[in-house]
Parts: sequence; structure tokens; C-alpha cells
Amino acid sequence: MSNLKITNLTKRFSEVLAVDNLNLEVADGEFVTLLGPSGCGKTTILRTIAGFCNPDRGEIFFGDKIMNNIPPNKRNTAMCFQSYALFPHMSVWDNISFGLKMQKISRQGQKKKISQVMEMLGLEGLEKRKPGQLSGGQQQRVALARAIVTEPKILLFDEPLSNLDAKLRVQVRIEIRDMQKRLGITTIYVTHDQDEALAISDRIVVMERGHIEQLGDPYNIYRNPETSFVAGFIGLANIYEGTVVARDGSRYTVEAPFGKVVIVSDGRKIPEASKTVKFVWRPEDMKIYIQGAPNRVKGKILQAVFMGNITDIFIDVQGNKMRAQIDESRKLIAGDVIEFSIPEDAFSILRG
Amino acid sequence: MALTDSTAETSLYLIQARKKRNFYLLLMIFFMIVLILWVGIPILMAVMWSLVDPKNPWSYPNLFPPSFSLAQWKYVFDYTNIGRALRNSYSIAPLAVLLSFVLSLPTSYVLGRKKIPGKKFFMLVVLLPIIMPGMVVALFLSRVFTAFGLSQTFFGLVLAHTLMSMPYMIRVMTTSFQAIPQDVIDAAENLGANTFVKIRDIFLPMIRPGLLAGMIFAFTVSIEEFNLTFIIGTPTFETIPTILFSFMGYNFIRTNASVVALLMMTPNIIMLFIVERFLKSDYLAASLGKM
Amino acid sequence: MKEKKISPIDLLMLFPGVGFILLFIGSSIFLTLVQSFGLFSITGKSVFTLENWKAILQARESMDSLFFSLKMGLLSSVGTVVVAFPIALFFRKGGTGKGILGSIIKMPLFIPALVAAFLILNLISYSGLVNTVLMRLNLINEPLRMLNDKFGWGVVFIQIWKNLPFVLLIVMAALASIRDDTIDAAKNLGAGYWSILFRIFVPLAMPGILVSMILMFIKAFGDFPIVSVAGPIYPASMAARMHIMATIYQEWDQAAVLGVIIIVTAFIVIWAYSRFAELAKGEV
Repeated sequence: MSNLKITNLTKRFSEVLAVDNLNLEVADGEFVTLLGPSGCGKTTILRTIAGFCNPDRGEIFFGDKIMNNIPPNKRNTAMCFQSYALFPHMSVWDNISFGLKMQKISRQGQKKKISQVMEMLGLEGLEKRKPGQLSGGQQQRVALARAIVTEPKILLFDEPLSNLDAKLRVQVRIEIRDMQKRLGITTIYVTHDQDEALAISDRIVVMERGHIEQLGDPYNIYRNPETSFVAGFIGLANIYEGTVVARDGSRYTVEAPFGKVVIVSDGRKIPEASKTVKFVWRPEDMKIYIQGAPNRVKGKILQAVFMGNITDIFIDVQGNKMRAQIDESRKLIAGDVIEFSIPEDAFSILRG
Repeated sequence: MALTDSTAETSLYLIQARKKRNFYLLLMIFFMIVLILWVGIPILMAVMWSLVDPKNPWSYPNLFPPSFSLAQWKYVFDYTNIGRALRNSYSIAPLAVLLSFVLSLPTSYVLGRKKIPGKKFFMLVVLLPIIMPGMVVALFLSRVFTAFGLSQTFFGLVLAHTLMSMPYMIRVMTTSFQAIPQDVIDAAENLGANTFVKIRDIFLPMIRPGLLAGMIFAFTVSIEEFNLTFIIGTPTFETIPTILFSFMGYNFIRTNASVVALLMMTPNIIMLFIVERFLKSDYLAASLGKM
Repeated sequence: MKEKKISPIDLLMLFPGVGFILLFIGSSIFLTLVQSFGLFSITGKSVFTLENWKAILQARESMDSLFFSLKMGLLSSVGTVVVAFPIALFFRKGGTGKGILGSIIKMPLFIPALVAAFLILNLISYSGLVNTVLMRLNLINEPLRMLNDKFGWGVVFIQIWKNLPFVLLIVMAALASIRDDTIDAAKNLGAGYWSILFRIFVPLAMPGILVSMILMFIKAFGDFPIVSVAGPIYPASMAARMHIMATIYQEWDQAAVLGVIIIVTAFIVIWAYSRFAELAKGEV
């Protein structure tokens, strides 16, 4: 167990800049998720931490120790692969014991540790099976067991749940989180699934094209996205640009294409000089208008999709499209005219 | 009314389906019979010829020999070099397989797992012994061998057979090496395996099926190798193919040839049934399907 | 990823396999080539001359042999593929009894070429089974000459019989890689049996078919033993002619010329294959 520090990491694959001067610090025992679309460099970072990939520039530290020249087999990280990468010719037991054998741990010690881990992950009774004879969920657990049994300094996950069906995915991610908390292993988790990232992480690193777009805890990433990429990549977003026409402390009045809105900016201030701002709010923030509510917008429903707990609505407000997700018992259909209000603190100001 | 209509239609549909199924079944049975005859009759004929009683010859218009005896078998073993040829064939083959395995292993590893320039070229070079017409290689290689004093020697024959079996060995093992997912190797390394452990615990066990298939192909190639043996080995060393060739030459003795032919193919066919499950995974196709 | 330079260790590891083959095959090709021009002659002389080429190219026998061998190569390779393709289609879908049938059909792969020649020879010889049966059925009055016939049908038949499983394995693998979805999609779009055959199966199996045809062609073209026992008295195959030239007439330099012609033909065929393969790829 150890903290992890990445400084000025750069990696280029022929024409593509996979990682661009990236800095990141992860505290001991922290669970950090690298989230981004495919090709954003998240897997390259993971593989660099594991030592499978040599950076063009930059350093990797585990604690105070620089790891750049340490080969993968000496780094004491444990990685869970997307494909599980179980050894197909070995039994479950041999798969899990592999790392311990490499550490030259005595047979007795191995037995104790493996039994413990197998019990923790509910793998008892599968010791003699080959990976081919296991279900996807079981294979995933064996991969997990194989990784954690070695008590690694850093645990690495490369989209470990993408081959599981939706239900199992939710179940296993809870298990992973529980186990990580119990063992307190520093963990780097790579995924492109925003729900997974929000549910599992202490902190999320949203990445795009090799650099960090935003870094923060799940709440902040979702509620206060800083860029339109982050806003659009995580959750649904209505993004508009407007001109600041008045200011009262942290309350800004913005002239947007669909009308005037009042925005309360919590953290970030709008720079004095700039007149135009980009802002975002979530579809679920839109409420059916009631007397006295702020930011009233009136529009025609283009499309209403009933989803059970909510209704997903696309509305047209003076030629501007926006999306709302409301909990409304009334049946809404296209063509209805409807009035919404948007709470003043629902907005986030974006930088660029 | 509507009900009866639909039942009538349904039953008509069922009859048609059954007819179609019966037709396919017949077609399949016909096909199977043709296939079995295609392979079975030639072999059956050889078996019968090898059992012909010399005192009671088999000739037109008899469809079957009038009587059977083992006299031909005894004759072949008593009066020809078949025993020595068998010994030669079955001692050269395992040595050739072993040598070709040892030589092919590192090459296959590089071709299968490393990104190297000119890989296509090397893969083609490796096929040369199959691509090059056997007699040309045999004749002119014999001059090279003579120059090195390898002609008419046992070691020379082992080298020649190794050469001929290497394309199969290298291609099949290269395919096996390629088939190992990089993730699995990374996982091993991630868990602390060094190069030696990776080779011992990951690579070798995982290429084992391909390795066995390659060895079996190499073995059969060696057993049936004719051109090089004929030019480099005979008359000092006879193998089963060269002795069969001599029986089929000027003085064609069908009964003797039958015995030798059966001796030559029986072990191979037994091997085929043993290795069937390796062949099913189509190593040969996967490794030779592209040039 | 960047194309890396070849490292010394990789080169060292390539050497046992590639080097062994290059050493022996390369030296024999080299020797064939230079000897055809009179260099490094077995007689001890080493003078550049075109005499051997002139002698061979002017001899009617060489041309007859060349055409005969080309004919054998072409007929054997095309014939085998034509026979193998329907069988491969039959085996594409598993079914009862197909497993054991598959093993039986693969048997000739493990039957040495000479044995195969002998087995078929028994069948088609002057007093062989085929003639006996046909005469008994009164279909013919006189035995047919199928063995050592002028045309070489006997050789072609043996080549097909022996090499069928090899081609079958390669074509079957190509067909097996075609997903059922693809065929269902074609059917769904209205393709009938023949369209599926010619627009789906044949094009997708083409790379496999081409490779097996090449290997078959080269085998049959350069064959020595099968033509020697089952082929016509005249002309001899190129390989047989070369063998006679070298060992009976002791004209090694002229044999080398024949060898060069065989090698060049083989390479032309492979070159044509690679062009075809590229064309086929371009289309897909």
C-alpha cells in the first residue's frame, strides 16, 4: 500500500499523443477512477503504472520511490484485465496462487491467504475448475482474487466489468468497492461507464485526448462540471451560451437565446471582463412551473418519452431545444405547451 | 370453417417439411456412402492384395481373391530389406522431429510474438521447403551435402528430414504463439513472473496443443519424405517410401508392395485417430491458410 | 505502435529456424542457378556458358515435359478444389456421424503419397477393380487404360485423392469462419441458394482456396514419384526428366537448367497468387 504520484507523463504512439503532460497524485488507500471515451489515454496511464508501457517523458512514483526503470514483475501492482486474462491451462487455485509463488511464499502461507480470499469472494468449491468451466461473473472474481491475494501496493483495474451483464455489473462493482475499503489498497480504476465511475470512486479523473479535463469527487464532477465535455460526457446536459447583462454579488442575469435567466454561481466567478458565458443545467433540474418560481421558460413538447419513474421530454423554447426529465403523473404528449422553471443554483458556469 | 382450413394447411406444410427432411437424409446417406467408398475401397483392395495366397493367384474375373494367406507378409519380411527400412524410417523421424522442434522454438517465438520488420518475408522463407519442388532441392542439395560429407549418412538424412518438416513446425508453433492473448502474459508479469517463469508456466503449456500438432505433422512428413531420401540416402539407407518405390518400379510386385504400403500407412492412420482432436482445431489450416 | 527495428536478440532467435532453411534451400537454389550457366560444374570446370540452356530449350522432350507438368499441376489443383468445395460445404454444419466421417475423409492426408499412388493404382490398373467391375457389368468390352495413360488422368486422380483432405482442411477452416449471421442476413435480403454459394461462400473462402491451389499446383508440377509410377511412358514430368538428366546421362548442368525452369515456374505461380490475393482483398 502506497500513494501514487505521476508527474509530467507524456506518451506518444507514432502520430497520436496518448498522454499529454499529465500530473496526478493519488493518496494512500484512495480509489481513483480514470473516466473517458475510448482513446483518451486512460488505459495507457494504467499500463504505464503497471510498467507495460514506457513513458516518453515523466515519472511514476510509488511513495517516494521512482518506478520508471522497474520492470512490471518487480512493481508489486496487481492488475485486473478487461479480458480477465486468466491462465486458461491452470485451475482456479493455480491461477490465484501464481502471484504468491512468484513472491516465494511458503505453501502453508499460500494456502491460508488463498482460502481467505476465496471465501471473501465466494469462490469456495471452485478450486479445481479451469477458467473455461466458469461463468463470466466467476471468472471476474477469480481475476480479482488473483490480484488482491498478492497484497499489492497498487490495484489496477482496466474496465473489469465491461464483459458482464448489467445486473452483475452493479453487484460486482459494489463488491469491488467494499473489498477495496476493507483492504485499504490504493486503487486506479479505468472505465468509460459514467455510472460505474460515479458509484465506485473517491475521486474521478475525467480525461479527454490525453489530458485531464476535470478532477474531483463524484458529487462535484456531476453537479459542477467545469467544461462542456465533462458536462456532456457525464449525465445529460442542457448547454447554452449567453451574455451577462446584470450582476448582483454572485447572482448573474444572463441573456440567453431562449430568454433571460438568473444564475447563482456558487464557486466559480465569471471573469469581470467576459461578457459571454457558457452554462449548463441538468434535465432533471427542470421543474413544472409554479407561481413564484425563478427562471420561467415556456415551450412546446416535441417528444415525450414515458420511462416509468420519470418522463423524458424534449421541448422547443422559441426555437431552442432543451431536455427535461420530470416526475409527473400527468400523461404528457407531443404538442402540449408546458411551463418550466429552473432553480437558480442548478446552473454551472463552464470554462470554454 | 376457418379452423379446418388452417389445419389442412398446417398438415400440408408438415408433409412438405417431412419430404424435404427425408430428401436431405437420403442425400446425406448417399454422400456418406460415397465418402466411405472413396477412402475405404482403395485400402480394402490393398489389404486383400497383401493377403493373396501365392498358390492360388487372384486374377480377372474374380472380384475377391480365391483364398487368403499371410505368405506375402512372411516373404516380405524374410527376403527384402523392409525390416531395415522400417528401423531407418522410425529412427530418423523422431530425431528429425526433435531437431526441428529445437530449431523452430526460438524462431516461432519471435515470429509469433515480436513486432519485427520483414515478418512477411520470414514467414515466406520458412515455407520454402514446401514451396520449392522437392526433386530440384534434392538433386542440388545432394551436391551441397556431398561437399560437407553428409551424403549417404544417417545424420545427413536426419538433417534433410528436419529441413522438410520445419515449415509445418514453425508455422504451426508461430500460430500457437500468436494465439496467446497479450493480456495473459501481462498478467503473469504483473504478478511477478520473470522471463524464465513466463516461458515455463505460460508459454510452453499454452502452446502445447499446437506443439503436439506440429510434431505430428513433422513426423508424418518425415515418414513419407521421398525425394531427398531417394537422392541423398539410397542405396546406403532405405526408408519405407524408397523401398515401396523400388517395388513399384521396373519389377512391379503388387503383393509385396501391398504389404509395404500397409506397413507404411497403418501407424500414420492410428496416429490420425489419436490426434483427431488437435486436427479439429485446424492448426494446419490456420498456419498454412495464408502465405 | 511504431514499427521497431529488429533487435540483435530477435535476430539471434530467428536464426535457428530461418537460417537453417535459408542455408540449405538457398544453397541448393544458388547451385542450381549457377550450374545452369556452367559455373561450379560437377565436372570441375567453371566457365560461363549458355550451351546448356540452348540444349534444353531446343530439345522437344523438355518442352513436352514442361507442358505435361503444367497440365498435371493445373488439373490436379483445380480438380482437387472442385471436389473439395462441395464436401467442405457438407461438413460446414455439424451433424450425426459427421465427426467420424470427417476422420475418414482426412485419412489420405496421413497416407504417404507413394502409398496413395499404390492404392489408387490397384483400382485403376489394367486388371484393376474398376475395369473388372465395368466389364462384369458389360459396360465395356475391353479394359480401359487409366494407368500410365498418355494423358495422365491416373496421375491427376491420385493427386486429387491424396491432396483432397489437405485442401479440405484449409477450405473448411475458411468456411467455418463465415458466421451464420452473414448467411441469415443474405437470406433475409432475398439471396437464394446459388447466390449464397457464389456471393458469400466462394468469395469468403477464396483466400483459402487460392493458397491450397498454389501448394497443390507446386506439388503436382514438381512431382517425381507419382508420375514415375502412374504417369505416361512419355513425356516424363519435369522433375523426372531432370532426375534422368542428372543421374542417368550425368548431364548435371542441363539438369540444372530444368531445375531453374521448375523453380521459376513455382515462383511465377506464387507471384500470381499474391496478385490475386491482393485483388481479392481489394474487392472485399
